[in-house]
Amino acid sequence: MPENRGMFTHEAAQAYLAHEPEMQIEALSERLFSVTDGQCRTLFAAGDSQVIAFDTFGTPGRARAYRRAIESAVPGKPVGTVIYSHDHLDHAGFAADFAPDAEIVADVLCAKVIKARAAEGQLPATLVLEGKRHELNIDGVKLELLNPGPTHGSGNLAAYFRDEGVLFSSDTILANARYGFMPDYHFANFVPFMRSFLELDWDRFVPGRFELTDRAGFERGCDFIEAVMIECQNAFMNFVPIWLYEPMKGFVGAALADTYGDLDGFDGHIGQMAIRVVHHYLMGGWGLEDTPEARALLADEVSL
Amino acid sequence: MESDSEPHEHHCGEHYGIFTLKGDLPIQGAYRDICYEPVRGNIWTASEGIYRTIFVEGRKSVIAFDTFGTPGTARAYAGAMNRVFPNKPVETVVYSHEHLDHTGYAADLAPKAHIIAHEYANAVIDARGSSGQKTANETWNGERTEYDIDGCQFELIYPGPTHGDGNVAAYFPQHRTLFMVDTVADGVGYTTLMDWHLTHYVPVMKRFLSLDWDLFVPGHFWAVSRERFIEILDYWERLFDFAQEAIVAGVDPHDWDQLNAWTDEHLGPHYRDEFRYYEYAAMNLSRYMQEYLTGGWGIEGNIKPALSPL
Repeated sequence: MPENRGMFTHEAAQAYLAHEPEMQIEALSERLFSVTDGQCRTLFAAGDSQVIAFDTFGTPGRARAYRRAIESAVPGKPVGTVIYSHDHLDHAGFAADFAPDAEIVADVLCAKVIKARAAEGQLPATLVLEGKRHELNIDGVKLELLNPGPTHGSGNLAAYFRDEGVLFSSDTILANARYGFMPDYHFANFVPFMRSFLELDWDRFVPGRFELTDRAGFERGCDFIEAVMIECQNAFMNFVPIWLYEPMKGFVGAALADTYGDLDGFDGHIGQMAIRVVHHYLMGGWGLEDTPEARALLADEVSL
Repeated sequence: MESDSEPHEHHCGEHYGIFTLKGDLPIQGAYRDICYEPVRGNIWTASEGIYRTIFVEGRKSVIAFDTFGTPGTARAYAGAMNRVFPNKPVETVVYSHEHLDHTGYAADLAPKAHIIAHEYANAVIDARGSSGQKTANETWNGERTEYDIDGCQFELIYPGPTHGDGNVAAYFPQHRTLFMVDTVADGVGYTTLMDWHLTHYVPVMKRFLSLDWDLFVPGHFWAVSRERFIEILDYWERLFDFAQEAIVAGVDPHDWDQLNAWTDEHLGPHYRDEFRYYEYAAMNLSRYMQEYLTGGWGIEGNIKPALSPL
């Protein structure tokens, strides 16, 4: 039986979509677990009678591997709730393969983008949240879902577990410098929105990719993004040809190497980050999401 | 909101866009030479070598499209138009879309001019509040609207989401000429195709093929023929295939060396003679790969536009 395709149209993608990687699970507390396929990372929690899972991973095979990992860590409890961190397929694209009967929770903008996209395998939200902060108790698991405003993707929800001292935010701050071209980041308010999480009491940060970090690592990640934004402006003002990879890598990399060169992936990614970030200043940000009073253009044209 | 032409508070004395640096901003005031030449009829084109736009001679005034992307370049553009038409002031500015590098500095180009923009572009401009970017005096909505301004007839067309917000083409049917910014330009695309709404991009752009034109003036570099416009769209269409192949092959879109090696092996035989191939083909591919990995971006990147002929 063919796999759900997401956006793929090539038959040759079937093997890629079907591949089921090994998952690594790490217990963060008695009922809270982090899981990764070596690239993406997410979180699930054991409720009294069900599992509350964030996201689905990015292919049908990965979604099935995720479900099996949950079954091994929390045997006998079905995935009753899936919370979408944001709309992107590589994180939330395959609930149809992961937990087709689960309640699916998403921010309203995330839900609208998913409806408009209609990707094969990405199930629509069944419980839509509006607003910045939601205190929830799902089957005995207490958490807060937080949307400070546009950061990455659409309707990106962070999860705050006060009792465990854990914050989860997908594809925002990383514990390293492996940001690549920073796809679908919204820079106008990114750093202040992310720093607003520091008002909460937590000491462990679960990012949407790669390894975990602590509060200091998260703060350093915010500082790093801010420093890239400043040095990209300086590149502009120093007449660096901002449209070229090597000159931008050279200028921004040299400016930040002493302070951030120890971050994993710095050399390989700082040029890509610089190319993307400098265009924020060249173009003025992308869409209403990237303005001081962030909103979403055309959002009213999608009804739920 | 930037609503007047008065000097702002930045000590460098120039409008500063969205820069947050407090020090000198020398690039903002730097003068750029502007080249200009007639296109067809009353249509002229202007460029500083990379960016390109058009201006149109009216009976008593000039209609300028866009502003260029710094205060210094906007002033140079104004000077160029004044040199060609010394007794015809710029009384109308038409915004192609909302990005600062094309429409960021009407306050320096023609501060008293009447500005026309699509309502989607103006919504972003109004919310952005960038120093030097003036909001429109007149907005329009929908797909098409006809203008007759000071004897200049043209149509503005919003075909659907392409690049930026409220990105419109100017169509001059009497001169069989189409102008549109940051969509089709010769060669491979610019970097990672910044702020492109990729999912429906090609079919939306193909809507223009239902109109009668044979000269396309892009927002960068040189004008192209209708045939070349179609060839370039074919490149964009084929990248959807290459992107899927790259993902299946295990290419990491953020591994710069791996990305370039795969691009050179697979796109190179077809496209390595194209303008800017070595600068941007790998970045183009990386962006297309994201389309499959993440899905389209935002509402603009996913909403299904009308695809019927214009």
